[in-house]
Amino acid sequence: MRSRARFIPVLVAALSGVSSLAIAAPTGTLVIAENETPENLDPANATNSTVDELLLGAYDALVQFPAGETAVSPRLAKSWTISEDGLTYTFTLRDDVVFHDGSKLTAADVKFTLDRLKAAKANVLNDIGPLSGAEVVDDHTVKLTLSKPFGPFLSALSRIYVVNKALVEPHMAEDNARQWLAVNEAGSGPYVIASYNPTEAVSLKAFDKYWGGWDGNHVAEVVFRYITEPSTQLSLLKSGEVQIAPDITVEDKLALMKEPGYVVDVGQAATPLYFDFNTASKGPTGNPKFREMLAKTFDRQLHLDQVLMGLGTLPDGPLPTSWPGHESGTELAFDLAGAKKMVDDNGWAGTTLTVRYLPAIQEEKSAVEQLQSNLAEIGITLNAEGMTWPAQAATVQKVDTTADINMIYSFPPFPDPHAILNASFNSALTGSNGGYNWAQYSNKEVDALLNEAASSADPAKRAELYKKAQVLIGKDFAVITVSYPGSVVAVSDKVEGYKYNAAHHQTFNIMDIGLK
Amino acid sequence: MRYVGQRILFSILSLCVLLFITFLLSHVVSGDPAIVAAGPNAGADKIAAVRQEMGLDRPLLVQFWIYCSNILHGDLGTSWFTRQPIASDIIRELPPSLELVFVAMVINLAVSLPLGLLTARYAGTTFDDVVRLVVMAGAGLPIFWLAIILQQVVAGQWRLLPTAGRLGFENRDFTGATGFTLLDSLMQGRFDVFADALAHLVLPAFALTLLFTAVGVRITRTAMMGEFRKDYVVLARAKGASEGRIMVRHVFANGATPALTVFGMQFGWMLGATVLVEEIFGRPGIGRYAVKAVTQSDIHAVVAVVFVVGLVFLISNLVVDIALFLLTPRKHAGA
Repeated sequence: MRSRARFIPVLVAALSGVSSLAIAAPTGTLVIAENETPENLDPANATNSTVDELLLGAYDALVQFPAGETAVSPRLAKSWTISEDGLTYTFTLRDDVVFHDGSKLTAADVKFTLDRLKAAKANVLNDIGPLSGAEVVDDHTVKLTLSKPFGPFLSALSRIYVVNKALVEPHMAEDNARQWLAVNEAGSGPYVIASYNPTEAVSLKAFDKYWGGWDGNHVAEVVFRYITEPSTQLSLLKSGEVQIAPDITVEDKLALMKEPGYVVDVGQAATPLYFDFNTASKGPTGNPKFREMLAKTFDRQLHLDQVLMGLGTLPDGPLPTSWPGHESGTELAFDLAGAKKMVDDNGWAGTTLTVRYLPAIQEEKSAVEQLQSNLAEIGITLNAEGMTWPAQAATVQKVDTTADINMIYSFPPFPDPHAILNASFNSALTGSNGGYNWAQYSNKEVDALLNEAASSADPAKRAELYKKAQVLIGKDFAVITVSYPGSVVAVSDKVEGYKYNAAHHQTFNIMDIGLK
Repeated sequence: MRYVGQRILFSILSLCVLLFITFLLSHVVSGDPAIVAAGPNAGADKIAAVRQEMGLDRPLLVQFWIYCSNILHGDLGTSWFTRQPIASDIIRELPPSLELVFVAMVINLAVSLPLGLLTARYAGTTFDDVVRLVVMAGAGLPIFWLAIILQQVVAGQWRLLPTAGRLGFENRDFTGATGFTLLDSLMQGRFDVFADALAHLVLPAFALTLLFTAVGVRITRTAMMGEFRKDYVVLARAKGASEGRIMVRHVFANGATPALTVFGMQFGWMLGATVLVEEIFGRPGIGRYAVKAVTQSDIHAVVAVVFVVGLVFLISNLVVDIALFLLTPRKHAGA
């Protein structure tokens, strides 16, 4: 009979078995289903959400975005000062932080972390701008210098996870500790990575000497289980073997909303989906008039209602409406009759266009189908070419091989207009320059506004500059902003404290979560 | 022994051809791996530097030459994404997949051989017709669909077997020397873990094997049919041998050769098909590793997986061929 009992979900037993004697001790195990496996544990790859969600527990950064907030707050750094010229940031570190091996975290660890990321050409530095160096002032003071001012510098630091110099340094020689940090952890965060089986599960256990302490309701262990199949995630949620299931189908999420025992959380994600028109094309999309016509051919409301089933926000331009610097009304509304008139007036009927997209993503597929059918109505044929991400990314490296239209999401690494607008519209980051500006969009005025905003530290001034940039981008009809899909996560009602974090999209605020 | 030598040489040649095709194909279809490796917002300079570091700026044939010479030294390269030697990644991922295939193969043989033999003996009867009908239906079911149905019904509704994973929650920290959970648990005397691992294997193995079993039954039946018509069976019956003895000692022993050859190949095919089952049942393994590698254009990892699966395929065929040669040397005397 013993083996029979094993098939029954054991979580309830595990939870109720924990004694209530301990004060402020984390208890219970939280199991989170995740459909994509992590590539490794290296903080150099914190740009990747499947890596970031593990590192958020294991490491600390100088500053942080708590879930639900769009402003940075202190973490390892108690306070900081910024020099007049915006080139020097001096951080005062907490003096009570210990790494998981018990040693003290000091300014030398911060400097080592940044030096190592530079040497390793870390992906996470792509977003940190003109960082030139780090200097240890004393044990608890570190000075970071920039080669030119960078407004979102503090925000970008929220993904620079500080590693334990003493542990990592011996592995630097060969490959800047890439191989070692890929499967080992050297952090000071609230959880220790207890086991790492990247195609199966990763387990994190509460670190009892965590400087933040364990007041309140927290879990003793967090397990990420890698479950690709949506129906399997649903089965495990229903059997109580997992408590958080982010990747079940939209239909199942809607059904769970009405079922007792579950909460379906709809987070206001800031990850816009775009149709990028090839603005540098020698073909029809190179003509702004033609793009103006295209800009009227997509029904965003229909997409939100029918594809996202209402779980998202209606877009109003390329920036989330709730962000500072958002400008309203910069993109044209859906107007198929107006588009038809332009097609007739200009003799564009019979034009054939190509759109490239990722068929593995249902939302992209549905959006392409809608655009295809709308364009067909006004006499334009849209060929859809489904691709994989690396293949699609390779096609935009030259203007000549860039399709007339490309679908792409923007995943801002931190909630700042720079993270979306600069990556998607600065001519320095066109596809042909290796960036995500797949519209190959180049407007010197827009570049100047974006660059000026990036180098300013004055929030009000930056907001004004971004507003102006959005107006210009809108007048050039570079993109259609298709949607802001919500981050919809199904959660057992035994879980309390889950909150979507726009600064760490597709991760979980495990430190704030407790079990009832 | 010359025969065995020839078989081995032929296998090695096949492997080289396989390697070359895979290497070529993954370079052609995978876009630009450097873009993925360089991460978001990388910029042209960084992508170029990463491309150089990955060796992707060299001519394809040079890359292939370097790759082959590394393989000869036992080095399958380093993954650009896991940052580990690919050989050690595969050593971690292969045992769970092989374990799944072993169990599936046991079910396959346990069903195919007796059913094939019996349907051959009772060919043309209602029994034969019913089995044929069931087998045809089984052969038509896609593996992933069957896997989902089994999971939803047997695990989800009836709660008879676990839904997903390799081990139950309470055994999640179990580790062993070989990576084969069934074997490790026995070696450690942990019979509870053994039962747990086996329970987690039943549904995935069944889903994986059904299609292969359908083929197995038909192949076995065809192979045995010919034997039942032979003179020695008539003679044995005339001598008064029992029907059971005739089937096992005479017909089966003589007719098994073509069937076993197919089973040898099925072993390799199954390993290639594990991905469908692993994704649905949330099991670790070489299939899931391969999917991740393909989506990230981790070329060396993709080629290595194909190489290893090909190697297993060739080895299982070689083992069957040699076993048959040793059992029935006459048939190969001319080769």
